[in-house]
Amino acid sequence: MSEADRTSEEIAARVKALESMLIEQGLLTTEMVDRYVDIYENEVGPQLGAKVVAKAWADPEFKARLLQDATAACAELGIGGGQGEHMVVLEDSDEVHHAVVCTLCSCYPWPVLGLPPNWYKEPQYRSRMVRAPRKVLAEDFGYEIPDTREIRVWDSSSEIRYWVLPQRPAGTDGWSEEQLATLVTRDSMIGVAPVGAVS
Amino acid sequence: MTTPVAGAELTAELRRGLDTLVGDLPGRSGDLAFDEPWELRAFALVVAAYEAGGYPWGEFQQALIASIRQWEESPAATRAPWSYYEHWVRAFEAVLGERGTVDRDAVEVRTCDVLATPKNRNHHEPHYEPIAVDPARTTSIPEAP
Repeated sequence: MSEADRTSEEIAARVKALESMLIEQGLLTTEMVDRYVDIYENEVGPQLGAKVVAKAWADPEFKARLLQDATAACAELGIGGGQGEHMVVLEDSDEVHHAVVCTLCSCYPWPVLGLPPNWYKEPQYRSRMVRAPRKVLAEDFGYEIPDTREIRVWDSSSEIRYWVLPQRPAGTDGWSEEQLATLVTRDSMIGVAPVGAVS
Repeated sequence: MTTPVAGAELTAELRRGLDTLVGDLPGRSGDLAFDEPWELRAFALVVAAYEAGGYPWGEFQQALIASIRQWEESPAATRAPWSYYEHWVRAFEAVLGERGTVDRDAVEVRTCDVLATPKNRNHHEPHYEPIAVDPARTTSIPEAP
């Protein structure tokens, strides 16, 4: 590996190597590093997902393309790369709500959604969501899904990364895409929270 | 999972402390911002090792200044593109190497190990169907007599 020209992947590997060596020496624990990561977890990556959702709400043709091939539709907006490839967008409706989990590696389309929160990477989140999604959404996230809506839980992997297109809230007729985007949160695109309230 | 208010206050306090800690470092433009996950991991690792008593902050500051200066003095045509957190990693390695906390050759070996491990090696199968479905519970409304 050349000293002068490290790729992003090489530097990321170097960071992992240094962390694992310091943990082995007993200087640090993963939790100590996580503690500082948590403070900034909402600030990694462009978090462009909100922009994509707002455009899909405002432009039915774009929405159709997004649901057909999310990777290509995001590329139209110059969004992609990193772990964003092979994305599938799941559309919420009055009948069905979608939520996303991951098995082992916290596969996550971070160019679109930002950095995954630590709870997303915990095995408990996944196992509980698979067993009792309605209960977990209500109790852990305060997100009550009416009994009349089916809940589907999707497993992201390195081959397909899912994220959720929430329903456009009522009372937003005539809103610009910029205004709409302010309602879209990371958690609403994972499917564990509603979009922001219309004020 | 909602953060309790006490947690949010603690976070804000930690954050103010961090802003002060990194406020004097060179090469920062505006607020802390991370474009890729490894950048935040590197940031957190450097801060956590300092908080754990791994090294005095001044050593890291000096190493960061040296790494950035070296970059600035290299010919623009041949040097790597600017990456602020790459300098954090280089400075951190320099501090740990000089203190003898880690052996620099061992870091190279470990880095190659990480690169040689396939990403998500246990989890590369696509999953095309939902992994769980909680069906709607529609109760049929009795017909009015």
